[in-house]
Amino acid sequence: MTSVRALRNRILLFFLLLLFWIVLTASLALHELVMGAVCSAFVGVLTVSLLGRALDPRITPAVLLRIPVFMLRLAWEIVKANIDVAKIILNPRLPIDPRIVEYRTYLPGDLPRTVFSDSITLTPGTVTVELRGEVLNVHCLCPYHEEGLPGLERLVAWLFGVRKPVGEEGNG
Amino acid sequence: MDRFLTAVALVISVNAFICLYRAAVGPTTQDRVLGVNIVGTKTLVVVVLVTYILAENYFLDVAIVYALLLFVVTVALSRYLEAEGWKEVP
Amino acid sequence: MAKDIVAGIFCCVGTLFFIIGTTGLLRMPDLFTRLHPSTKCDTLGACSVIVGMAVHNGWSWDLLKLAFIVCFLLLSSATCGHAIGRSALRRNIPYWKKKEANEDGHGA
Repeated sequence: MTSVRALRNRILLFFLLLLFWIVLTASLALHELVMGAVCSAFVGVLTVSLLGRALDPRITPAVLLRIPVFMLRLAWEIVKANIDVAKIILNPRLPIDPRIVEYRTYLPGDLPRTVFSDSITLTPGTVTVELRGEVLNVHCLCPYHEEGLPGLERLVAWLFGVRKPVGEEGNG
Repeated sequence: MDRFLTAVALVISVNAFICLYRAAVGPTTQDRVLGVNIVGTKTLVVVVLVTYILAENYFLDVAIVYALLLFVVTVALSRYLEAEGWKEVP
Repeated sequence: MAKDIVAGIFCCVGTLFFIIGTTGLLRMPDLFTRLHPSTKCDTLGACSVIVGMAVHNGWSWDLLKLAFIVCFLLLSSATCGHAIGRSALRRNIPYWKKKEANEDGHGA
């Protein structure tokens, strides 16, 4: 079981590195591709124990298909966040009331939580300053920014196909 | 178009110089790291603009390496600053 | 010609967000609030200028490199903000609170 996953990780890593090589060399000539395959295989074998951790088994084809939609919705959130923060910065009275709130998330595993905390950092008035287990410490610029977190959590849960456990409150 | 891009690059460079104020004055060391990070982001964009002002493709590779280095510098410095037994140097 | 105009608009928006980010960096009262303009306005400014350059560039291999830079910038700026904030939190740097008596919000 583990060896199958290790092999899958190795092959995935090889193709990722080859893709990166093609982006960097910007050509599809045969000698470049062969050189890239050799280099990717070498680097993949050397660093599979380090980079293989990033290839979580949660990344399934369904998740990959949802990523563009997720990116578009996140981009819209980012634009809204920027206009909001820009308004606050350019306001001469600087109407901020910062606080650090604790948020308990129901998302399982490291990868969904990482995606969630990165999305929080990029959306309105909130920056994740600490991620410990399932508790996130979020710095909010204004109290009303806190209200956007559950919606964002739902978006990330949708991306990874996670359902909210019944009978548990997401907000802590 | 070239003149316009040069003007944009100049404005961003002036911005970067203003951000250096935060890196120089910032009351805590973390402020300085943040200032350096922002100056780095602006430099990255200026490098991308220079690619198109000079019409030299290879500057894009410089930009990619710059982005990677900037990330490593910021994360390594922050990890170093949060280690035990570290004291603020006045 | 239309391509140049679209690229120019993207560059102008990006520069505007850069200026706003710089203003925020200088105006905000403490480290945690300074993280907000740096992680948001700067990222969107950089992404906007790079997207403008991608429009100016048109279809070529450089487009892939620009897309890679944008993706990496989005990931890395969020992670950098998180790293800096966490190191400040672990160092117990006090964070700025609004004073109840001071309605102006400028009590540092």
